[in-house]
Amino acid sequence: MTTVTTPVNVIRRDTPVGRTRVIGGIMIAMALFIMWVFAFGASSKATSIITFNPLNTSGGAPWTLGNLTVPSRLSDVVLALIALGTGIETIVRIPAKRVMARFGFVSVLFLLGLFVWTVRSGGPSPTNFIDLTDILVNASGITMVLIYGSMAGIMCERAGVVNIAIEGQFLGGAFVGAIVASATNSFVFATFAGAIVGALLGWVLAFFAIRYRSDQVIVGVVLVTMIGSLTNFLNLTFLTPYQQFNTGVTPNSIPIPLLDKIPIIGPLLFNQNMFFYLMYLLVGAMSFGLFKTKWGLRVRAVGEHPQAAASVGIRVKGVRYFNTILGGAIGGVGGVAFIALHGQFNPGFTSGLGYIALAALIFGRWRPAGAVVASIIFGLTSMLASGLQSFNVPVSSEILGMFPYIITIAVVSGLIGRVRAPAADGIPYKQD
Amino acid sequence: MSENKPSIWQRYLSANPVTISFLAILLGFIVGAGVIIFSSADVLHAWSQIFNSPGGILHALKVTFDNVGAAYRAMFTGSVIDPTTFWHALSTGSGWDAALTPLSETLTYAAPLVIISIGVAISFETGLFNIGANGQAILGGIAGTAFGSMIHLPMFLHLPLTLLCGIAAGAFFGLIPGVLKALTGAHEVIVTLMLNYVVAFFLLYSLLSTPLQLPGQANDLSRVILPSAQLPTFFNTATTLRVNWGIVIAIGVVAFGWWFLNRSTMGFDFRVTGANPNAARASGINPKKIIIYVFLISGGLAGLAGVVQVDGTTHSLDGGFLIGSAGIGFTAITVSLLGRNKPINVFWGAILFSALGVGGRIMQAETGIPLDLATIIQSAVVLFVATPVMVQEIFRLREGTVHTIQLNTKGWGS
Amino acid sequence: MLFMRLELRGITKRFGSFTANDAIDLVVEPGEIHCLLGENGAGKSTLMNVLFGLYNADGGEILINGESVHFATSGDAVRKGIGMVHQHFMLVPVFTVAENVILGFEPTKSFNRIDYATASDKIRKFSEEFGLEVDPDAIVEELPVGIQQRVEILKALSQEAELLILDEPTAVLTPQEIESLIKIMKDLAASGKSILFISHKLKEVKAVADKITVIRLGKVVGTGLPSDSEEELASKMVGRSVNLQVEKSPHNPGAPMLEVKDLVVRDERGVTVVNNISFTVNRGEVLAVAGVQGNGQSELVEAIAGLRAVESGTISINGVRVDNASPRECLDAGLAHIPEDRQRDGLVLSLSVADNLVLNTPRAPQFAGRGSRKLQAVRENAERLVKDFDIRTESVDAPVGSLSGGNQQKVIVARELSRNVDVLIAAQPTRGLDVGSIEYVHKQFIRERDSNKAVLLVSSELDEVFALADRIAVMFQGGITGIVSPDSTRESIGLLMAGITEQVNV
Repeated sequence: MTTVTTPVNVIRRDTPVGRTRVIGGIMIAMALFIMWVFAFGASSKATSIITFNPLNTSGGAPWTLGNLTVPSRLSDVVLALIALGTGIETIVRIPAKRVMARFGFVSVLFLLGLFVWTVRSGGPSPTNFIDLTDILVNASGITMVLIYGSMAGIMCERAGVVNIAIEGQFLGGAFVGAIVASATNSFVFATFAGAIVGALLGWVLAFFAIRYRSDQVIVGVVLVTMIGSLTNFLNLTFLTPYQQFNTGVTPNSIPIPLLDKIPIIGPLLFNQNMFFYLMYLLVGAMSFGLFKTKWGLRVRAVGEHPQAAASVGIRVKGVRYFNTILGGAIGGVGGVAFIALHGQFNPGFTSGLGYIALAALIFGRWRPAGAVVASIIFGLTSMLASGLQSFNVPVSSEILGMFPYIITIAVVSGLIGRVRAPAADGIPYKQD
Repeated sequence: MSENKPSIWQRYLSANPVTISFLAILLGFIVGAGVIIFSSADVLHAWSQIFNSPGGILHALKVTFDNVGAAYRAMFTGSVIDPTTFWHALSTGSGWDAALTPLSETLTYAAPLVIISIGVAISFETGLFNIGANGQAILGGIAGTAFGSMIHLPMFLHLPLTLLCGIAAGAFFGLIPGVLKALTGAHEVIVTLMLNYVVAFFLLYSLLSTPLQLPGQANDLSRVILPSAQLPTFFNTATTLRVNWGIVIAIGVVAFGWWFLNRSTMGFDFRVTGANPNAARASGINPKKIIIYVFLISGGLAGLAGVVQVDGTTHSLDGGFLIGSAGIGFTAITVSLLGRNKPINVFWGAILFSALGVGGRIMQAETGIPLDLATIIQSAVVLFVATPVMVQEIFRLREGTVHTIQLNTKGWGS
Repeated sequence: MLFMRLELRGITKRFGSFTANDAIDLVVEPGEIHCLLGENGAGKSTLMNVLFGLYNADGGEILINGESVHFATSGDAVRKGIGMVHQHFMLVPVFTVAENVILGFEPTKSFNRIDYATASDKIRKFSEEFGLEVDPDAIVEELPVGIQQRVEILKALSQEAELLILDEPTAVLTPQEIESLIKIMKDLAASGKSILFISHKLKEVKAVADKITVIRLGKVVGTGLPSDSEEELASKMVGRSVNLQVEKSPHNPGAPMLEVKDLVVRDERGVTVVNNISFTVNRGEVLAVAGVQGNGQSELVEAIAGLRAVESGTISINGVRVDNASPRECLDAGLAHIPEDRQRDGLVLSLSVADNLVLNTPRAPQFAGRGSRKLQAVRENAERLVKDFDIRTESVDAPVGSLSGGNQQKVIVARELSRNVDVLIAAQPTRGLDVGSIEYVHKQFIRERDSNKAVLLVSSELDEVFALADRIAVMFQGGITGIVSPDSTRESIGLLMAGITEQVNV
């Protein structure tokens, strides 16, 4: 019995200069798109209304922002020029840092341009205003689930175990979460149940990855399929006959007094369900834990150079087990959060969200804060697909549905720049 | 080496690939039985009553075996041979259709599975993980259906060109992750997974919003492939025996795969790259080229599998084409792991898992146990195959020649 | 605990049927520098890993100050006052010096936060106390190797080690850095620390040791004193008398075969690692590139072999330009390459000996035609080479990974020499080999030279360089500080290796 391990770096990296140019080129292309399609796709007389007041809240807020009525074509021209300027600046100056920040900025401009164009007066959209707060609030649900997923991944990968099974942890957590929430009407119990199931799945991954040094990608992918089919199976044999266990309850929003009245931020951050507040705690705790504490230093040492960690008496396998199980539990809670968003459990309804979370954590360079930013971007894209349909955009819903996946591919393939995974990520640790 | 050469029996009981595979399959079925037991109200009820009557345990055992037995019996009779119909055919000389239908179905479903699995095996052998075979196959099916249903040509041209269309579409779609990985280092696992979702949407799009949709239809159904482009069946179409030339193509692909991996110079490059990419580069192999070739070949075979499926079996597409419980692409991964990327073994693995799928449908119809059980069993089998040491420990086997499968693409960096 | 007397009694460690350590006895007194001398594969590293709690011994016991101890993990060993400076540094490259030093023994504040201020203070204190200057906030991967080693020593000292194990610490150092390391070791010993120094280099051992224990094939074969002669120690170490001098005919160079002109190469981070180098290797000569590891030699070889991009300058093989050519083009231009890391770049361990022997010529007309390989011919080729080059293998179908290190290297040598091309470059060709294999490889190189080939040898072993070279080029920080005759003194080459170029030209 031998374990064939092979070194990692096959391909020399492209120079960052070339990559930066590519990203700059993409920005310019986006700018031109805004100009050609959006700006000149709107008549010069059309106007678009941007509002920041959620339609569903009463007017009791102490602070409100007024509606903004803008000429559609002119605003898109302005947006296009700003985007163009940023793109050209990137290509000419080749900045060493914040290339992705620039790209994110241009993406936001692109979205704004798209919104202005879709809601222009005389356009196909039934309404001619866009409610930015509403859009952000809509996107926040998926974003939250993605953040749970990417935290689940970071927890494992910082310790050197590739967690490609986030999708499975979502599904498992969601399944159990739906049952417990329906039965007890309590999302606190559901959260615990989801965490336990997720932890169990994390343990299975850890068991195969650490004890038997199986290939973590294979084990992860197989686990996802196994949990996928198991939840399908149990859905048919259990949830279909006993529908009282899949009632589709969702938790109430918990407004934080005063803070929830702030325009945009209030409804977005401080009038959400318990999973949002739990998420704030989680992200904060992980950023602090991984980068400020003794525990974090040891975890990162295990993920970077397990032999070095072992040589000072750190129990590499123990750390990996602990983190993988904890990561699984976070993924399971993410599944419950998804149920809180979605209501009923449906087979396979996470449709690849776990993998997008994985891309988000890579994009966020294995840092909680970075992963949050990446999740927001992905969350917005996912929302676009469903959101744009309500504006009667002349693109079929199937094509729009591809959007988040294509963006993910674009991100993992060129836009990441030089990412550096924990050096021992995915490599089984062998102790003689 | 000469000292105490193991007996044949000891060799069978060592951790060699064949023994491990058989035991992994056995363990997979045990896991499946566990799932049946824990999801069956009857069985659980019987076990909860074991203290209420003296024969309680026996009764509970009987109920358990009845349930599990019924499920696996239905699987077997549905995919291999049903003794009743077979005996009937044997004794009366008629009814051979019914007797042979299970085998015919298994071979029918096996044909695309064999083809796509060989493609996946080639990618595995090169250390690349093509999870996108599913999407490549679907795209192959779409292209083949479009060409086979909307173009009119004589058969000797139409049929091969239809197949070629499928290969080309699959290869093209395989090119995307291949080129992205070669040029930017994008991890092929994420790219191909995402592309699978993209293709699922594209399938719906082409069935709902393009001329490929069956005229006069509002649902997600495609036009039907013209007879001049269909793969002929072996028996006349009046019978229930659907087995067709697809299985012959599949055997051809196995032969190709065997030659390619074991005898061809390009296959040698593939294997060297898979086993040690650094040494491959140092000995003059261009790994970027290899990555692209792998995805071309693997994608092309997946595309062929897709077109064989639609061209030989269904003759038209619907929104669930090849997606099924877990998707043919996933099954192909399990098959090639089970066969340890050896084309001949992959062939038998594909027959087995195709039987599992075909039998699973019969089981669902007869016992109400969902077809997903087949996928659960498959995943369990693969988990055990990928972890030979565990199987070795469970059955206390001697050390053997088998080793843990590792891909060469670790981590995520470029 | 102050001062440590370490005793090993009958330590035995087996891997399967192979006994790496066989009943080893060893005593290190407080304040003593004890050298463990043995050639590669003798079992030195295994013994140290047992002592450091990384391996569990199959027999024997470890006594500290007369008390039997058991180490389940290296943490236990550290707590008992044993520190180790590993041959491959146990440092996390992306961490700072401070983070590496405190790892496992972190000072903390409230909420389990790491107290970096205390950590830095502690490091400064130790730096001063032992004269080991480092910046606690520097990122380790950005430090030169010599300083990284200092961090390793500092790490051990800060964990209050009373016994330091140094595993082949000089391989990565210049002769001058070695001098300074020896001084550090002597200072430490004078302050009462015990030192266990592992090496196969006789000169260093003689320079530093108080006592010497020689092991061979996993057994203690004798002890010695630094006053013993090199020949005496060498014969104990190898088990027979050795003659590392290779017989060779006088230097008679022919036409230039490998020409490197104004070569500049950068590494992944954009740092210039080969800086404006020019040299020529002629037919019938061995040009040896000497220098401390990490001064651009590896990158130079990779550039010649087509494995690394050339920034500027030219490389030609037999008149054909191959700068920025693909590895294939370099091979076709007539280059044979014995790579530095044989398991990484030279072999595919899971493939058979036969396949590895045609690894870079699978498409040669005798081995393949019309896209198909001729497996019979591949086998016959392997049978012949296994015999000619004395490769010890069960069969030509055995995976090359099942061979010993020396025989794996012979597979590469056989493959490259059998291609019968005009230029041979070899990087660290005898690293990690036993003396028998070294002698064999050296003989093969001289045979190549004598059959009028051009040989470029890159080695950080000065003994090897002196034994084989017709001319010696010394590299320092990416440049060539001099090309000298092998009659030059060790000292003058040592100066060149440290970058000091007071006119030594030939």
